[in-house]
Parts: sequence; structure tokens; C-alpha cells
Amino acid sequence: MTGTQEAEGHERALRELADKIIAQGEGPRLLTPSPVDRTMIKHWAEAMGDANPRYQGPDAIAPPAMIQVWSMDGLKRGDRPRLPLDDMFEALDERGFTGVVATNCEHTYHRHLVPGEHLTSTTRMSDLSGLKKTALGDGYFVTWNVTWYAQDKPVAEMIFRLLKFRPREERCPSEERKPYPLRPAVNRDTAFFWEGARSGELRIQKCGDCGELRHPPGPVCPSCRSTERTYAVAAGTGTVYSYVVHHHPPVPGRETPFAVAVVELPEGVRIVGNVVDRAPAEVEIGMPVRVVFQAMDDELILPMWTPGSPDANA
Amino acid sequence: MRTLEMAVGTTLPELVIPLTPTMIISTALATRDFTPVHHDTEIARAQGSQDIFLNILTTMGLVERFVTDWAGPEALIRGINVKLGVPAYAGDTLTFSGAVAERDGDTCVVDVRGMVSLGPHATGTVRFTL
Amino acid sequence: MAGTALVGIGATEFSKNSGRSELQLAAEAVFAALDDAGLAPADVDGLVTYTQDANQEIALAREVGIGDLTYFSRVHYGGGAACGTVAHAAMAVATGAAEVVVCYRAFNERSGQRFGQPNAGLGGEPSSQGLEMSWHVPYGLMTPAAWVAMFAQRYMHRYGVKSEDFGRVAVAMRRHAANNPAAWFYQRPITLADHQASKWIVEPLHLLDCCQESDGAVALVVTSAERARDLRRTPAMIKAAAQGAGAGQMMMTSYYRDDMTGLAEMGVVGRKLWEISGLSPSDMQAAILYDHFTPFVLTQLEELGFCARGEAKDFIRDGGIEIDGHLPVNPHGGQLGEAYIHGMNGIAEAVRQIRGTSVNQVPGVTNILVTAGTGVPTSGLVLGAAD
Repeated sequence: MTGTQEAEGHERALRELADKIIAQGEGPRLLTPSPVDRTMIKHWAEAMGDANPRYQGPDAIAPPAMIQVWSMDGLKRGDRPRLPLDDMFEALDERGFTGVVATNCEHTYHRHLVPGEHLTSTTRMSDLSGLKKTALGDGYFVTWNVTWYAQDKPVAEMIFRLLKFRPREERCPSEERKPYPLRPAVNRDTAFFWEGARSGELRIQKCGDCGELRHPPGPVCPSCRSTERTYAVAAGTGTVYSYVVHHHPPVPGRETPFAVAVVELPEGVRIVGNVVDRAPAEVEIGMPVRVVFQAMDDELILPMWTPGSPDANA
Repeated sequence: MRTLEMAVGTTLPELVIPLTPTMIISTALATRDFTPVHHDTEIARAQGSQDIFLNILTTMGLVERFVTDWAGPEALIRGINVKLGVPAYAGDTLTFSGAVAERDGDTCVVDVRGMVSLGPHATGTVRFTL
Repeated sequence: MAGTALVGIGATEFSKNSGRSELQLAAEAVFAALDDAGLAPADVDGLVTYTQDANQEIALAREVGIGDLTYFSRVHYGGGAACGTVAHAAMAVATGAAEVVVCYRAFNERSGQRFGQPNAGLGGEPSSQGLEMSWHVPYGLMTPAAWVAMFAQRYMHRYGVKSEDFGRVAVAMRRHAANNPAAWFYQRPITLADHQASKWIVEPLHLLDCCQESDGAVALVVTSAERARDLRRTPAMIKAAAQGAGAGQMMMTSYYRDDMTGLAEMGVVGRKLWEISGLSPSDMQAAILYDHFTPFVLTQLEELGFCARGEAKDFIRDGGIEIDGHLPVNPHGGQLGEAYIHGMNGIAEAVRQIRGTSVNQVPGVTNILVTAGTGVPTSGLVLGAAD
């Protein structure tokens, strides 16, 4: 497949997924984690240095720009149900559009809010642009809309747009990301695996003679002594065979706690990787997972695992 | 009383915000944004940023404050539309400038620009009614 | 190993900051061991240590006044080397390569380089070990606690083992150490509640599932049974010594070969020990089981044949590893309680149990099992009283 054909294939698949998600319209109406709250308003105004008297006293209103604050998950991330939009981001990640930068945020306020109100909100994806060339790299703009309701009446709306881009291979030194410190050693026996990760493939060594699959790979087939090596591309699904949650000591380049699992693949081998997109406390043995490819810096892409069953948006 | 000062073309007084780590962190937390790049320098740097930086919810809040500081508590903000630019890092200074772009009865639209040393951090419009 | 014996043991104090170089610690431990045996440095013609030890044999020989060396050797794989040093020494003595061999391990593992701290370079080496580590280190799976925790989680899942079952090991070791003046945790026992309340290191391991970090050194003197008869101490006969690695073995991360609930390499060592010694688990009156992390104490009890698979938790709950239990384990307090000297302090305790001189003496010890590092290619000993 040529590069151009590959790009066209990507674009078609992404467009189909986007159309599907856009057609689904608004997601479920979810209660915001925080009601409109006087103390939160006070903290916000203090932090912003905003002395507007309307945000103070018994008749205080909420600063309109706080609208998104009521929807923030806070430290308890990962509780939020999965949105169709998440599938879009994952599909972009899987195709190497791992970079993300927010580009637009537009709020519209239909009325002001007062302490005690408890809002609900819905999210819908509204647009996926075509492939654009940008200063950061080639990418797609994704747009979604959030509507906040009080007693079934919309009170505020937001349009949010971000660019998911494929980080450039070459950048001038000042723009380079700091290298991720935990680098694998790579040699001629293992390079195929890491090249696969860079192109969004989870590759398992396969003996060119007897066909045995093997991970971690090595130069000689333990079954037939063959040094003819090839690889299979894994389906990208698996189940958590065991896992740990690392708390201490701090690990360079990592934020704790984080989960690492031994994942058993339907192909019959096991592989180690992080479980992402799920609070570490919610990881469990037997949990179905799917591979995602995460760019750690300008060079290294690691296969990681996200919750999901084999039939979910294959 | 302010109607005259709100004629199209009227410029707003500059708002200069020193981006201290305290400012970046306290606003991130006040907007319930606990993403480490907004409070943990080491992680922010590990992810390729030069330092911790302002979160978007705070940018929206500061744009709002810039306008209401000038327009006064009577102004009711109806909409904020921001195009996001370069990051606003700790140690930098964020300077807002703006001018009235449209005026139609009680409704007024202000053009806003928030600059940091790297360039425009946020540009856009704020719509309010009196 | 027939005809070889451990005739001298020596150690420095166990601390968190020795205040002296690792070479000085090594020299002090060697002097102590030779004094204990009633031998002089000039009697020594062989030295064995770990590949990980920072003190070259020749450097140590210079310091303590050892002259000609006809045998020197190092054993690989971290703490898995412990009993292996004695195995190498015994083989050298048995073959006539040397007459008196000193095994030593000296480090400032707390005040100097700490094994429990992440080392970003682990995965970067283009050696077979670096390549092996590269399947784990990039994901932040890079500390011994994390590597062991991965096994522990599966073991808990498979056999319904609880964190408290691991905690009982820590409580027992600290109870033993509380009565041992040489132990870092002398007079500092813990409760199961302390264990449960200690912070997470790597789930499912709490802080108190992890052994301490120590500065210190231990040295052991090996010679022939014949020569041992003329020395001042009751010899601990080396009835068997063995090293072992399992099929599909890796360093701490053998996640790809079996159901992750055993320690295949320890099975290899156990079978070899029973074969060489002609003894069986029921012939052991006590055991020194490597306890850098609590879960592998359970696994070893099962792998070595002291109880059936999945039943170690019951064995321990019933008091099996206490001083008056079915199989007293680590009467000195182990590495959880006494000190982490990479398993060498446990061998010294085994010698004391044979001599009958331990502070927590188990009555009537004629045979004692000793194991080395778990999760890595490892080693073991059966020591016994002279017939």
C-alpha cells in the first residue's frame, strides 16, 4: 500500500466513523458532578482575581464563564461513562494522530445561574474536518457541542474544537518534546515490534518455518530452531491476566498511580503494557482490553491497553 | 452612564496578569481541573511543555473578567468565543487588550486579545448586554 | 558437596547508614568470619561473591591480607546468588581447587545505591538482559516490588489469598526480629493492622510486604569436613547445595511461561537439594526462606513441598512458620526483620541454628533448608549437623 493510498484509507475510515457518531446526535443527559455552589464561586472569583460584586453576597449569581466547571470530574477521573466521542479520539490515536491541541472554545449563556441549581448536560459531536496541513503537523479538527440544562430548559451551550495531529517526525530542536526517559533497548531481533508500534500495529513474532507465535521475540524459534522470522499482526484484543498499580517510589516520566498489566492475547501469547483510560482501582483480572498506541515523545510509541470488548468498534 | 464610553472603537483598559505558579495552580484547582500539567512542573516538562500552564477554563474566566472589570457589574455576559493560541506558561505575563467592535442597543460586542511573550494566547469576542 | 562445611560466620552491624565504604564493610565481615572459624587470612585461598558486589576479590584480598588465591568466582542474578556462593565454594573445596574459601557480600544498599529505586537505564542496555527488561521498563514496571506484585496478584486471584495472608508473614518476621538484638527491627514488632494500614507501594503490596533496605556485610567460611574437625566451632555440614533456573526463565518477570502462581526455578533447586542430600521436606526442622517480599514466602512453602499448592496461607494462618510451628521460618527475623544483606545473613542464621546458638533457637535442629533470591535464577542449601 502506498503512503497516499494509506492516507486515503485512513480518511475514509475516519469519515465513516465520524458520520456514524454525528448521526447519533446527543448522548445521554448526565447530571453534572457539582451543583452550582456558592463556595465554589467564591474560590473561583478569588483565584481569578475577579472582584465583581455580582458574584458575592446573598444574591450572588454564578460567573457565566464557570459553566464548564460544574461539569468537571475533578480528581475522580474515569467515572464518566464512555461517550461516542471517545471512539473518535481513539480512532485518531490509532492512526497516529496522537497530538492534541485545543483551538476554539465558544460559550453562549441563555441566562445566569444561581447557587443551588443542579444542571444536566449532553454532548454531541458536530464535525470532523478533512485532513488539514497545520504548523504542528497533519491533522483533523474535531468539534463537539455541549448543552447544559436546568429543568429541561437549555441554559448554556459550548462549542469546543480541537486539532488531533500527527506529530512531525522532524522539528527544529526548540520544538522537540523532552525525550521520554524509559526507553527500550532495540536490536535486530526486536526492531520489528517497535516499528510496528510506530505504524499502529501490534506485531507478534512468527516463525517463518513452523509458524509458531512468540512473545517476547528472539532470534531462534524454540520449537524448530529456525532463524527465519516473520510476524503476525495481532487483532489488538486481549484480557488482563494479572496487573499491578504502582504507587511508590516515583517513576521517571510517569504520573502515579498507574496500572501495568500482563495481557493475554487471543493469539496465545502474553504481553505487558499499561492499562489506560480507566482508574487504576477499576482494573481487574479478566477485564477485556484493546490495544491503543501512545506517543511518549517524538520517537517512541508504546502499545497500551484500554478497556473494551473484542466486538467494540473493531 | 457608561453608554458613551461603549461606542464602537472604544478601547478597554489593559489587564496585566503575572502568571505566577500560584495563579496557574489556584485557578486550575478552582476550575476543578486537576490535570498535572497545570500544577506539576516535572510532569509538564516531561510532556514537552516548558512549565506548567494556564488551563482553558481559566482563560475563559479571565477573558470574562477583563470585560466585566471594565463594563461593570451591570453587564450580563451572553457569550464568549475564544480562539486559543500559544500556551500561557508560569513565569510569563498575560496582557489583555480590547476594543468595542459592535454596539446595538443594550448589546455590545468586544474584541479581546490576550498576549504572552510567545504570542497570542487567546483572541476572540465577548458579547454582553446591559 | 559431601565433605564440606561452613565453619565460620561474620557480619558487620546492620544499619541504614554504615558511614564507611563497601570494601571496608567486606573486610570487617571477613575478619569476623575468620576469627569465628579460628582461621587466619593467610589460610584463605578462595573467594566467591555476587556479580553485583562492588568489591573485587583482589581488592578484598589486599585489604585483609589474603595472599595467593587459587580460586575465585562470582555468582549472577542478584539475591539468587546467595546460596550459590556457598555452592561454588563447596565445589572448589570438594575438587581441591581451594582449601578455605570465603563467601562475602557487602553493600551500602540503603545509604548508597538502592535496588528499590527505579533505574531508567535498566531497559536501555543492548544486552540480553536489557532487551528482556525492555518489555517492561518502558511501561514503568521497573522496581522489584512491582515485578513481584504482578505474580502476587495472580496468585491471590488463583487461590483466594488475601493481603492479610501476606501480612501474617511480615508479622511473624517482625516478631522474630523483635527478639534479635542484631536485627534492625529489634524490639519493634508489628501487628496485622499495622501491615494493613501501611501505604501501598505497588498494589497488591503494602510497604510492610517489602523487606527493608540495609547497609552491611556478611562473610562465610567454607572448608573441608576434615579440616572442620580441627576448628573451634561446630561445623554446619553442607549436605546439599544447588542452583536453579526454570524453562522460560527471566529476571523477576517470568510472566510468559506458566500460570504465574509458582516459582519454577525454586522447584528446580528444591528437587536438586532433596536428590543430593537424600532428605525430604519432612526432615527439615527449620527453614530460611528468602523474604524480600512476603508473597514469595508462601510460594516457596508450596514449591519446596512443605504444603500443597494454594495451602500456604492456611499453613501460615495455623502458625506454621512461627518458632514453635510446624516449620519455623527465618528465626532471625529474615530480611523483613533483621536486615537485607541479599540473603547472606540468612545463611549465617542457618549456621547458628545448626550450632544451637541462635537467639531464637529452634530445639533439635539437625537439618535446615536455606533459599536465595526469588523470582530470579536462584540457589539453595541444606545444612546439617555432623553425623
